[in-house]
Formats: sequence, C-alpha cells, structure tokens
Amino acid sequence: MPTPPTTPQPGAATAARAGAGGRSRPWGDVVLGSLSTGAAITIVLLLAMIVLIVVVSAWPSIKAYGLPFLTESTWRPNELEETLRDPQGRIVYDDDGEPKTVIEPASFGAAPFIWGTAVSSALALIVAVPLSIGAALFIVRVAPRLRIAEPLGFLIEFLAAIPSIAYGIWGIFVLRPFLEKHLEPALRWLLGDLPFMRWMFFRTLADGTEVPIPLTGRDMLAGGLILAVMIIPIITAVSRDVLRTVPRAQVEGVLALGGTWWQSCAAMLRYGRAGLFGAVMLGLARAAGETMAVTMVIGNVNQISLSPLAPAQTMSSLLAMDAGDPNNPLHFSSLFYIALILLVMSLVFNVIARWLVVGSKARTFGS
Amino acid sequence: MAIRSRPAFFARSLFALALIVGAGGILPLTAAEASAARATANEVRLAGAGATFPESLYKRWVVEYQKAAPTVAVDYRGIGSGGGIRAITDKTVAFAGSDAPLTKKEIEAVGGEGVLVELPMVAGGVVPAYNVPGVDQPLNFTGEVLADIFMGKIAKWNDPKLAELNPGVKLPELAILPAYRSDGSGTTFVWTSYLATQSQTFKDQIGTGKQVKWPVGQGGQGNPNVAAIVSQTQGAIGYIEQNFATMNKIPYGAVKNAAGKFVKASPESVEAATSTAFEKPRDDGRLIANIWNGPGEGAYPIAAFTYIIVYKDLRNLGSEQEAKALTDYLRWSLTEGQRFASEMDYAPLDSGVREQVLGALDALTFKGQPLSKVATAPSPK
Repeated sequence: MPTPPTTPQPGAATAARAGAGGRSRPWGDVVLGSLSTGAAITIVLLLAMIVLIVVVSAWPSIKAYGLPFLTESTWRPNELEETLRDPQGRIVYDDDGEPKTVIEPASFGAAPFIWGTAVSSALALIVAVPLSIGAALFIVRVAPRLRIAEPLGFLIEFLAAIPSIAYGIWGIFVLRPFLEKHLEPALRWLLGDLPFMRWMFFRTLADGTEVPIPLTGRDMLAGGLILAVMIIPIITAVSRDVLRTVPRAQVEGVLALGGTWWQSCAAMLRYGRAGLFGAVMLGLARAAGETMAVTMVIGNVNQISLSPLAPAQTMSSLLAMDAGDPNNPLHFSSLFYIALILLVMSLVFNVIARWLVVGSKARTFGS
Repeated sequence: MAIRSRPAFFARSLFALALIVGAGGILPLTAAEASAARATANEVRLAGAGATFPESLYKRWVVEYQKAAPTVAVDYRGIGSGGGIRAITDKTVAFAGSDAPLTKKEIEAVGGEGVLVELPMVAGGVVPAYNVPGVDQPLNFTGEVLADIFMGKIAKWNDPKLAELNPGVKLPELAILPAYRSDGSGTTFVWTSYLATQSQTFKDQIGTGKQVKWPVGQGGQGNPNVAAIVSQTQGAIGYIEQNFATMNKIPYGAVKNAAGKFVKASPESVEAATSTAFEKPRDDGRLIANIWNGPGEGAYPIAAFTYIIVYKDLRNLGSEQEAKALTDYLRWSLTEGQRFASEMDYAPLDSGVREQVLGALDALTFKGQPLSKVATAPSPK
C-alpha cells in the first residue's frame, strides 16, 4: 500500500513545495505527469509500429516491383496457365499428348487505383470548392446580418460528423438512380453527338470497334460526386475559420477607399488565400482516404478510363475489397504497398494543409 | 514556465513505460482466468473460420447442434477460404472452411501430405442471374456462350448465339452488362474454373482463381452487391450462388451440362453432380474432386464441394475430449445436419459420397490413437 506522500499539515506541504524548488513534487502531479507522458509515448509508438508493419508487409512487393509499381496498370491477382501455341496458332503438345502450358505469374500495379483516387478527388474538388468557399463567405459576410450564422455553422459541422456509410447508403439509393435515370442520359443527349466528346460515351475494344459505355450510375462520376458531398462540410468549416481571421481593417480599408462590397469580399479571399488553399488540401486528404461510400458507387473495376462515366476503383476502395481474402503472398504484400502509398499521400496533403492554415493564422495574430 | 530537468523527464518516461508494460502483463492473465472459468463448466469450445459460402449453413448447424449437445459450443466465422487455411495452419482454429482444396504450397507449409484432411460437407451451384426485361421463362446458356459474354465478345442480348439457344424467346436488342465479384471468393473460383473447361480462349486470357482480371463489366463485393447490380441494371448478368439467388428471388438460367441437357441449378441437380465425384479413388486418398462439368443427365455443371479442413491427428486441440467433440460435431453435420442443407438450398452430399467422408472422419486420430465413437454422437439416420 502506498502511503500518502504529503502529511495533512498545510504549512509543511507549502514549505516543502517552495523549499524543494520543483525537485520533490506532490505525488499526484507525478502520477498525472507520468500517465500523460505515457499516453503520448503510446501514441507515438503505435504510429511507429503501424508504419513499420506496413513497410515490412509491403517489402516483398516493393522488392519485386520497385517504383514502376506506381505506373504499372495491370492488376491480375491470379496466375494464368496459357496454352503454348506455335507461330501458326496451333496448340503445342508434349510427349504424353497433353497440351504444353506456360505459367504467367500474377501481376500487380497501382496505376488504376492512383488514377481512380486522383480523378475522383479532382472531380470532388471541382464541385466542392466553389460551393464551400461560397458558403463560407456567406457565413462570414452575409449570415451575421440575417442572424443565421450560428445555426448555419452548426448545421455544417453536423454534416461533417455524419458517418461515411450513411453517405454511402444515400449514394446507392438516391444519387445512383438519379445519375442513371436523369443526369447521365441528359449528358449523353446534350454532348453525345459531338464528335470531340465521343471519348466520354464510347470505349474502343481491342479490335478497334467502338461500343457505348453503359450508363449505370456506378462510375467515376458517382464516386466524385459523393466525395464532393462528403468534403463540402470540412472545406466550408475551415474556410469559415480562415475568413474570420481576416482583420476587419483589411475589409473596412477597401470599403473606406470607395471599393464596392464585392471588392471587399475579393480582398478578403485574397488575404486568406493560403488558408483557403489549406482548407482545400484538408478536403483533398479526406477525399483520398474515404472508402466505404466510394466503394458502394464507383463500380469497382480495376481499369484506367478517361471517361467519368466508366466504372473505376480507388486505392482505399481496392483495399476494402481485396483485404479479406488475398490470392497469394504477393497480392497481400502489394495491398500493403498501396496502403503505404496512401499513407504517404495523406501525410503530404495534411502537412501542406496544416502549414498553410496555421501559417495564415500566424500571419494574422502573430505580428 | 517551469524548467524541467532532463533526468526527471527520463525517470518519468521510464515510469510511464513500466505502467504500460504492467498493464500489458495483466490483460492476458485475466483472459486466461476467464477461459479457465469457462472450462470448469465442463464445456468444450470449438472455433472454426473460413469460407463465406457455407457460412449461413454452418451457423445454422451451430444453433441446431447446441440443442443436441449442450456442452459443446461451436463457433464459425466467415473470413474467406484463404483466411481459414491460414488460421488452421497457424492452429488458431479447430477447423477451417474452404471452397477450394489445399494447394501444393499450402500442403508444404503445414509439413507435407496427410497432415491436414479435407472433408466435403455440402455442395453448391453457381448460377447465371440476369435482368432482361420481357423475358419470363428461364434462359438457356452454354459454358462457351457464358465465357464469351464475360469476355465481352457477346455484347447484346439478341446475339445470334443466344437466340440459337433460346428458340421462341423474344430477346431484346439490349447491351449486356456482366457483373462479377470484385472481392476474392470461392464463387469466382468455381465460375472461372468451369468456364475455363468450356473455352480455351477464356482459359488463356482470363484464367482461373478466386480473383481474376475481367475485361468488361462491373464489380461488386459479395453476393449481395452482385445481386444488386443485376437487379438494378437492365441487361445485366452476374454469377451468384444458387441459394442466394433463390432466397432473393432473382431469375437465373439453365446451363447445358456434359450430357448435353439444359439443367437449372437446384439442391437436387447439384447433388446429382456430386454423386460420381469419388467413384475413382485418388492415389493420395484425398477426398477432393472438381465436380464442375460432371457427367449425369440431371447434373448441374457449375457446382463444387465446400470442405472442412482438420488435422489428421488432432493433437493440436490439446485434449482427447476436445478431439472427440470435434469428430462428433462433424459426424453430426454429415448425418443429421444434412437435412438443414437442403432446407437452406445447399446440396446435401450423395449417400455414397457421405459414406466415404464418414470413413475419412473415422480415420482421424489423437496422438496416434484412434478416436472411439462416443455416446454423445446422435445415431446416423
């Protein structure tokens, strides 16, 4: 049993604390200090272990493919047992009369998934950035006058807290049928006959014939749109905070110099541009890592297609699909390689975003 | 701000580390105590994991067996065939479920032939399910046509090759959208293995496996998502397990079997496909067989066994009591349990096949000694 370190004499305790000069501190302080230090160390250790395990597990694939893994577009988890044919196309038989075969090993490359993540995130940003920054500007400049800034801000933060699977369900039952029945046929009606837009609606087969891409609502466009909906709250919330840090003097200065209200808004955006860019990067980081909602609508085809109406696959979605039952050790390892790419990518996005957002705040409050 | 001396900081970190390590030491202790408490209730726990295809049947067996043998608690988790084989290799489960027999590499990993035994439990069929508006009667397919559809070579429902198989059916001029499993699955293994026997081009270009690279179509995770693509998209065709299609009332077609007859998948037609599986015993004595494209007028051609894999010598289970509990449970599954198979639209084993599997079960040992049939086993019907 530990004995209480301080006697119940208030005078003595004070004297001890003052006299020791921080050398012997109250017992409670030591425990709390140790616990919080321990918690911090645990988190750092946990992160280090995760990175270590990802790298170690990815190692066989890194060794087998190296950096070309990033640009290789074939993802075939099964090995092919191809029948050997002579130059005339006849099957070659061995001495026992069995057809000779060549084993083509499984082959892995991350290009379709890097492409899928990049394009779906880009689509999401194209839709989400104007909406989010517009909304943030509204909250900072217009809503206070209408006395709705608070409830609006609350709503946006609420949107950011909705679990992604809820967006996925909405995507499958509302967004997908809407795309399939209305938006995509409308797009085809509008643009389908233009010769320079054929790439969007047709795909070319190996023998050169063009076939229309089926409009199913499970495609890159659906993935991009659902990501847009998911990142609007975070970009709006951060942009709002960034715009709020713009000094009043900046805005009022423009107005005092005879600028219009519109020009004062432009000045505000220009002043906060680094922070706004950071907000966009945070949105991008979320879009790149988002999994379930995208998996449910993107079509899950490991291919690179220019058309946003063709099904695709993102890195995180592929991990969700393949992690359950990998075909072979190299498949397993290649999945970790992709996890590593994803990890590095989100790290880069987050570091840039933090640097920009914190930098913009420091510029306002620092000096 | 107070200035902290370095030694104090290190001392504190050390103390914190000691706390973490201490906590780590306590946790396993309590877990061990908990399992000890359970064991005193004279209860045997048998853990299994693996294939998802038989999962709903195995879970039903768990519930039903609890009634027959209240002191034995069986548990099965559907984590995929590959995961199940890894788990039995690591000895973290008593039995594994797998849709595919062990591969050469998997046999080597566990120490050579005869260490693990595959026991066929039930069989199942994989069906071509489709969404073609205006077509009421089941469509006829051949393996070759299905292979062409899944390679994108037949792209329209009114293709002459499909029309030839379905005289009198008015097929619409509608694009075909193949739907496939994008996650690794035994269903894909059976489907591609069958198509590879029917089309040399398919075998060369797509190959066989739990996951392959498809040139056309859309992917979905698990039977439910493939079924969703099929039912939501006009012109779609996807492969799903027969019991899943029946349960969810998704229309599916008949496939031409080796005898030249068009057969629709059902527990009966799949059972017919299992009947000749072990007529010719294998040299290594394993009870494994590919029953796709099997002989027999009434046999459905896209069928496969699902296996439970156990150690031939059950010393991995720790006690003879547990080993007996496992063999009793498996014996029950192969006798009484088969009744639930057809109820849930799986195909029960043909009686001849079942005798052979029961024979393999009797050959299991514990530390080299044969296991006696204990009284808790319900008598075979």
